[in-house]
Amino acid sequence: MIERGKISALQMAMILHSTIAATALLAMPSVTMKYAHQDMWLSPIWASLGGFLIVWITFQLHKFYPKESFIEYVPRIIGRFLGSIFAFLYLFFYWIILGDIVREYGEFLITNFLAHTPYSVISGSMLLVCAYAVRGGVEVIGRSAQFFVPIVMPLFLIVLLLLIPDLKPQNMLPMFEHGLKPSLIGAIPPLSAFYGEFFLISFLYPYVSDKQNKLRWGIYSVLSVVWTMLLVSFSTLLIFGKVGAHLTYPLIGVARYISLADFLEHLESIVAAIWVLSMFIKMTMIYYALSLGTAQWLKLTDYRPLIFPIGILSLVLSIWTVPNLQVLSQFINSTGTIYFLLMQYLIPLLLLIVAYFRRKQNQKKVAEQA
Amino acid sequence: MMQMGKRLFRKSFKRKQKQQEVAEHAENKMEERYGDEGISSNLQENIDFLHEAFGKAPDIIIRQFVIKHREERKAAIVFIDEMVDKDLINRNILRPLMIDSEKVTSTDDLWDLVTERLVSAGETKNVLKKTEILTGVLAGDTVLLIDQYEQGYVVGTKGWATKSISEPRSESVVRGSREGLSETIVLSLAMIRRRVKDPDLRVCTYELGKRTKTCVNLLYMDGLIDPQIVMEVEQRLKRIQIDGVLESGYVEELIQDQTWTPFSQLQNTERPDTVVAHLLEGKVAILIDGSPHALIAPAIFTQFYFSAEDYYERFWIATFLRIVRLISFFMALLLPAFYIALVSFHPEMIPSHLAISMAAGRATVPFSAILEALMMELSVEILREASVRLPGPIGPTIGIVGALVIGDAAVTAGLVSPAMVIVVGLTTISSYANPSYSAAISVRLLRFPFMIAASVLGLYGIMLLFFLLCAHLVQLRSFGVPYMAPYAPFNLTDLKDSLFRASWKYMNMRPVTFKPQDRQRQTLVHKGKDENSHETSGR
Repeated sequence: MIERGKISALQMAMILHSTIAATALLAMPSVTMKYAHQDMWLSPIWASLGGFLIVWITFQLHKFYPKESFIEYVPRIIGRFLGSIFAFLYLFFYWIILGDIVREYGEFLITNFLAHTPYSVISGSMLLVCAYAVRGGVEVIGRSAQFFVPIVMPLFLIVLLLLIPDLKPQNMLPMFEHGLKPSLIGAIPPLSAFYGEFFLISFLYPYVSDKQNKLRWGIYSVLSVVWTMLLVSFSTLLIFGKVGAHLTYPLIGVARYISLADFLEHLESIVAAIWVLSMFIKMTMIYYALSLGTAQWLKLTDYRPLIFPIGILSLVLSIWTVPNLQVLSQFINSTGTIYFLLMQYLIPLLLLIVAYFRRKQNQKKVAEQA
Repeated sequence: MMQMGKRLFRKSFKRKQKQQEVAEHAENKMEERYGDEGISSNLQENIDFLHEAFGKAPDIIIRQFVIKHREERKAAIVFIDEMVDKDLINRNILRPLMIDSEKVTSTDDLWDLVTERLVSAGETKNVLKKTEILTGVLAGDTVLLIDQYEQGYVVGTKGWATKSISEPRSESVVRGSREGLSETIVLSLAMIRRRVKDPDLRVCTYELGKRTKTCVNLLYMDGLIDPQIVMEVEQRLKRIQIDGVLESGYVEELIQDQTWTPFSQLQNTERPDTVVAHLLEGKVAILIDGSPHALIAPAIFTQFYFSAEDYYERFWIATFLRIVRLISFFMALLLPAFYIALVSFHPEMIPSHLAISMAAGRATVPFSAILEALMMELSVEILREASVRLPGPIGPTIGIVGALVIGDAAVTAGLVSPAMVIVVGLTTISSYANPSYSAAISVRLLRFPFMIAASVLGLYGIMLLFFLLCAHLVQLRSFGVPYMAPYAPFNLTDLKDSLFRASWKYMNMRPVTFKPQDRQRQTLVHKGKDENSHETSGR
């Protein structure tokens, strides 16, 4: 095994929570609001079913191959040749995701805070820091997450608490104006783009030390993401109403709203801090999955030599893939949805079915021989 | 979330129940371990028992001799080096027994003769059990054993050196012991022995340095500590092949886990009470002859920010002081960096009135913020270094001249802004709020990269460097123990002694982080009710 570190189930849940909540925090409300309007708070709940499904699928696959990550057991399920191709497709998929996220991250900081700093400096320096954490392996990622989540959570709650005087509950009305359909359609983007990322759990399962709690903590992390998304949705909806759909980062706008006694202002920097902290974990996690997966795919003994080349390629890819943020969000909401659904839901489900039948066949063979 | 919390709570509750059972079981450990056994009539057997109980510690002295009275009879006295008054032993025990005994002409039983006529000490006691020998020796008394007698004679010889013991210079406290470890290793050992009167305190001796042949003692509590840690430390100590060991720093650098880090992975302390506290938490202590600093291993990040006094003062105050120290840690590390970032990148984040007055202060300053900060920080570092090296009486003068005169002149001359002087002053003071000098130095060092990062990328740069620092800290290990425990990896029960210190009433368990074999710290599991208060409330 390339990775010798072990993490606890709690650490796994915290990594996943920061990974999914990071992007969802800023990008989710405007997307769901576009389709679900005032019922948008329901969408993350519908979408969470996808999260539970992925956690369950990957856990079943993990039970078949307990000591291997996804990249390693795909060839065992569908044969070496086809499996290698599939594994490569997944590595490519994560490469693109990492590029997108790096881009999203850089663009966010440029538009909101560091207007004159070159993009490559912002993203490059962050990738460099992530590379250092990736070098430390899964243990460092787990512990960093454990370090940051207790900082992020209270900050997030404080921001939301300060918003309470500005909330307008009538923004929720009329409820279910067009039935449940809009909220269900609004659930599709978070289902594919955000909850789909729970698929990363398949890279973590083999390294979790407490065996009984893996699935349980996986489900807890889905629940905590649902809870975070609900809070974000409600705060956006109850403050902006339908206008929220036109804002790129509604939560930043929400935070700008806060003004307490003319003293506590500019809280958007707290939101940015929350976001950057979670983004650090998210980028490190995907970067790690990509590096480790590539090493496993190439059957190397160590993934560390790959970290730098992959980092540079991701930085370059982040500039190549999309010309600007609008195209990126267009991609995520249209073509990307199908891509994400295919890679994170459909193929794993098919693989699970194949693995199940292969296992049955094998058992039959063993029984016949006996 | 609710469920998670409940489950966590339930788990800890279950554990507590189990601990309670363990507690009832482990009562009176010494009795259980060595039994109710009486003293053997065979002297050699008794000596073997003592050797075994003390684990062949170098400071346990067993002097065997012969009493000649009518016939020759073997005898032995047992005592701990440096805990006894040796003069008294020589004059009042050894001399009468070895020399005067020949002259006495009496037909009495030898034991009666020895106790009634020969040993001329005031405070004496007859004992019958083996455990009583141990307690007597550990208390600093001398125990006399004579062949063919099933009893021991405890002679009060307590007398430890107090003159040469000086106050610890680098870790002073308001409340607590004023003793510092000695440069003489035997004396340091006696100071520690005096505080833990347990035969389980193991002392292993090593000779390090091919030419200096420095005596190094490894101390740990047998049966309490995780044996894995002892093995690891022993292995690393044996690997040392250097020609000279002059200070604990040599050993520290040669046995630490990671070299390329500004953080120390072994704690050093001058206080015997701190050493004992760590021994009782399941760590090892390393004493080096010629150095008043003992090394503690494994060390975790948080323990560098704990003072011995935290455990002596009431826990409210201890908790408050720890929070103050946390704030001062961040101030020492980040304040100049924040100043640079705010002034040169994010002036909009400063409240407008303050921003105006700060801009007015900086109007005449010809340097950029980073240059200004680097200049000031460097001159403060020079000042600090100079005041450490200077002979005692001149030190404060230099401090006053440097800080007040030059600082004030620099501001009036328009070389630095007044805000910068405040920042530098606060930073310097906060770095002294750290109880451990070695940890304070690493923060002092790390301040400069943060300042440079702030000057390049502003707050974003500080944040990036902070990530780097965290990623670095969480991958550090000290003798197999994660450096950032109990935060990451997280441990709920160990949080009782982290940023908060729970009252001693509730700290029934030793920290899990160091995996002690004997987890129980106190037998009674308190329910938080004050039983004494009922008696007095009737008044």
